[in-house]
Amino acid sequence: MSSQSMPSLVHNNNPHAVTEIEVSIDSFIAKLKRRQISGSYIIALETLQLLKRFISAVRWSNVNELIAQIRELGNRLEKANPTAFGCGNVIKRILAVLRDEIEEDMRESINAGSSTSASAANLNDRNSTIGNATQAEPLIASMFNLLQKPEQNSQDFYESKSKTKTDFRQVVIQAIKDLIDEIKNIDDGIQQIAIDLIHDHEILLTPTPESKTVLKFLIRARERANRTFTVLVTEGFPNNTQNAHDFAKKLAQHDIETIIIPDSAVFALMSRVGKVIIGTKTVFINGGSIVSSAGVSSVCECAREFKTPVFAVAGLYKLSPLYPFNVEKFVEFGGSQHILPRMDPRNRLDTINKITDYVPPENIDIYITNIGGFAPSFIYRIAWDNYKQIDVHLDGKQK
Amino acid sequence: MAPKKGSSGNSNSRGDRDVDVEDRFQAVVLTDSFETRFMPLTADKPRCLLPLANVPLIEYTLEFLATAGVNEVYLTCSSHANQIDEYIENSKWNLPWSPFKISTILSPEARSVGDVMRDLDNRGIITGDFILVSGDVITNIDISKMIEFHRKMHAQDKDHIATMCLSEATEYYKTRTFEPAAFILDKSTSRCIYYQDLPLISSQEKGAVQIDPELLESVDEFTIRNDLIDCRIDICTPHVPPIFQDNFDYQSLRTDFVRGVISSDILGKNIYAYITSDYATRVESWQSYDTISQDYIGRWCYPMVLDNNMQYDQTYSYESRHIYKENNVVLAQSCKIGKCTAIGSGTKIGEGTRIENSIIGRNCQISENIVIKDSFIWDNTIIGDNSNIEHSIVASHAKLGNSVTLNDGCIIGFNVIIDDNMEIPKGTKISYKPIKNMGSSAFNLGGDEEDSEEEDLVECSSFVGVNGIGYVYDSDTSDDDEEESNGIHKVSNCLAHQIEELYLSDASISSITKRKKKKRTMSSNSMYTDREDIESEDEDEEDFEAEGLATVERALENNHDIDTALLELNTLRMSMNVTYHEVRTVTVMALVRRVYHFISTQTLGPKDAVHKVFNHWGNLFKRQAFEESEFIDLMNIIMDVVEDTHFEKPDLILFGAFTSLYDNDILEEDVIYKWWDNVSDDPKYDNVKVLIAKWVEWLRTADEESSEEESSEEE
Repeated sequence: MSSQSMPSLVHNNNPHAVTEIEVSIDSFIAKLKRRQISGSYIIALETLQLLKRFISAVRWSNVNELIAQIRELGNRLEKANPTAFGCGNVIKRILAVLRDEIEEDMRESINAGSSTSASAANLNDRNSTIGNATQAEPLIASMFNLLQKPEQNSQDFYESKSKTKTDFRQVVIQAIKDLIDEIKNIDDGIQQIAIDLIHDHEILLTPTPESKTVLKFLIRARERANRTFTVLVTEGFPNNTQNAHDFAKKLAQHDIETIIIPDSAVFALMSRVGKVIIGTKTVFINGGSIVSSAGVSSVCECAREFKTPVFAVAGLYKLSPLYPFNVEKFVEFGGSQHILPRMDPRNRLDTINKITDYVPPENIDIYITNIGGFAPSFIYRIAWDNYKQIDVHLDGKQK
Repeated sequence: MAPKKGSSGNSNSRGDRDVDVEDRFQAVVLTDSFETRFMPLTADKPRCLLPLANVPLIEYTLEFLATAGVNEVYLTCSSHANQIDEYIENSKWNLPWSPFKISTILSPEARSVGDVMRDLDNRGIITGDFILVSGDVITNIDISKMIEFHRKMHAQDKDHIATMCLSEATEYYKTRTFEPAAFILDKSTSRCIYYQDLPLISSQEKGAVQIDPELLESVDEFTIRNDLIDCRIDICTPHVPPIFQDNFDYQSLRTDFVRGVISSDILGKNIYAYITSDYATRVESWQSYDTISQDYIGRWCYPMVLDNNMQYDQTYSYESRHIYKENNVVLAQSCKIGKCTAIGSGTKIGEGTRIENSIIGRNCQISENIVIKDSFIWDNTIIGDNSNIEHSIVASHAKLGNSVTLNDGCIIGFNVIIDDNMEIPKGTKISYKPIKNMGSSAFNLGGDEEDSEEEDLVECSSFVGVNGIGYVYDSDTSDDDEEESNGIHKVSNCLAHQIEELYLSDASISSITKRKKKKRTMSSNSMYTDREDIESEDEDEEDFEAEGLATVERALENNHDIDTALLELNTLRMSMNVTYHEVRTVTVMALVRRVYHFISTQTLGPKDAVHKVFNHWGNLFKRQAFEESEFIDLMNIIMDVVEDTHFEKPDLILFGAFTSLYDNDILEEDVIYKWWDNVSDDPKYDNVKVLIAKWVEWLRTADEESSEEESSEEE
């Protein structure tokens, strides 16, 4: 019933709605390009809001078209700022939910025995042509599905023009709402684990002072568990110094002993540090991660040298299905003006100021996410629980 | 449910464009600089559409305004207005999701920034505070801080009308502006007390700053700074355009307007300076084009960087050591791309070519074994094998043959073709068409042209080769009007490195400044006089006499209204810097000539003529004389002029003039008495004074009723 009424409703105000949605998409893209929106949390939420409006406005004749349009949107957002992974991550997760729903829907329709002989013939055709793509998918599906029989006929369903009883618009919007809820409550999940990890009279070191998650994590450990511990904060010169000071101030206000140390002192102090806690911007499928200030990588390297455990805190939405083949592409390079004064352009030094840094998986001991703690080597499993391989790269054709 | 949500969201994003008229934030972009520094390239394209790092210059300014949260942008165009208009029409700024509403104002007749501002005032577009920015600004300043400063100062000081943005330069002169200037700022409020242009750092001339001590009266502490880059980003209040309107002679934004406003005690307005250490500068000369391009590639203007891909069709990606490449770049296996290089899409680079510190446009064909260093190759150029390009600019569609060598500082114009094996000497500028001095090109018609062209051909084939097309652009003649006689100015306006020899360290400058300060305090009691003014005064006066006479005569002839005539005279007075005495003199002369004209052509009798002219035009004097002494001066002038003009009956004319002025309440009795008491006894005036003597006597004794009798007696 609802699926019947919905398209007509959209159809009525469609021309207007589509142009308006174009306006908001393009202004969002422009903002991304100008770096007016920053921070993975805000980017993820804003992307979801935009996607919600997009889904409400867009129209399609079959589900495949809907997926294509969402992919197209995701591609544009990813291109706008390739180092802001938040956009791509949330869109890929929504796509995964949508694809799951489609499969579910199709399974039901098959069980009901409504498939005709024509579509069965069609099915055979397709399996021979596109067999590889579809077969690859079930192989890396969740471990909980390992014993299930692989679905062979999903492609057929994508193509089908027939109306299904599931209203995909509602499905997607519901998925978006759930994801927004999840992102907003991510800190609670992580904080639950905090208490068990921090002991009394421990010395912690954090090189990522701008991470809200780390901040809440520490405050929670202090307030809920009433642990007394010392936090060392690296200065993060030059890009992060202000953040480090703010961070230290906030911790001090919560009665946590906080010391700001120069970046160069990390090695000297590492022998006394009990744990290193880092916030992440993105976690890649190999368990490596992008962190938000240059120098974190060397801190983790240093921690490894001293066998100090490195804890990375990350919300699930920071998990990206990409593999960091070319790290340089994923690291953002900032401006040179903060490092050196302006110089005579003829005889000046070239400065390269990495804003973000890549920490390889072997330097991280455990990821603490809102659904529990995982070893870096296990990250890929969690990723494939939430993403579909077909949607890893949004550019180019789907098939 | 869903569509409703969508629409509410959209209204949010649209909301900022439908703001109230009072709240909208406007910006005016001056696309024309009224300079010829980028000749010969600006002959074909306006400066703001020249590409910097493969993006037209204007985009950087608009991008800055977009980040600043401006709601409305007005582009004022004069030269190449159509090109700019067309560009904006097709740009992304004209799309419905552009962050601001953009419109172009075409004022092709404008010849200076002042004209543009007056035009703006006439159109009445400005409703509130607005950003006035030049169309060649590249910056990453945080405008919100500047606005905050502007608001704060505005709340403190009711006379605050504008805030200038100045960014701090380092001691390296190349980062400095091409128009150096000294800013004298109040230390506590950073109010601009005085502004003065300085000679170029590269010129050997020593500058001195001379300040009227009165300006410093209420100032506790002040700083003199010459290390500020004037990036021409101003936040102005709506009072600014009318000031240009009132002062017809204001041409430039800084030398005339800023200096005029802050040193004028009549206006009583203040201008403040906002000093920032962010990146903010203007592309104002070839040299700064070079510097800024390198800065931009070196990410000094982050977050405004090339790999943001602000243009829709851009696909730049960043690689370490500041290499930017678009999609579809074809690089041969053995070519070497060095640091700080950007390459546009569709470009092919051949085997063995080395490129460093350069920006290559789109669809360029760069063949084999070429060395390109520190250069700018614009779109669609073709460069032949074994060429060597060093520190040069090759504009779009230019074609260089094999084994061409471009030496330091060459500028190859649009569509120029250079033959094989040519070597272009240092600092040569070549354009496709011969470009003469702007002024003379208008006269260069008919037979003359062919001759000169032939000459050029002969001369130029030595540069571009037999099969080449191109003419050497002679920058001597059409360079700026800035009075740089020694040619140093010309040298510094080219791309070349040669200025290194003229390096002047900042240390010596600062010592000069110190000395200057001391001198000033010692002599602060003596009034400041501008020697130049005195020297040139005579000349001014003569000019003024002729001009003023012409003005008044024109007014009489065409029967202008008095206000217009006064305004014209006033403008003339201010621009030529003469006193009211001169103005009165020319007015009287013109009026008396008019009378003489009437009499001599026998249109009117002497008495009628005088009455007709003085009754109406006498009102001019109301606004030319204000004090008693000035009226006396006026009467003396009238007497002098009447005496000089050799009328048949001079006394009658003078008497007529005085009575007319008296009847119109311009001359008062007291004034007349005073004048008469002090009138000169020179015998040459005796003739003239006959009737006046009687009149004055009569005035003194007679009552008002008898005036009619008197006049009938006279007849």
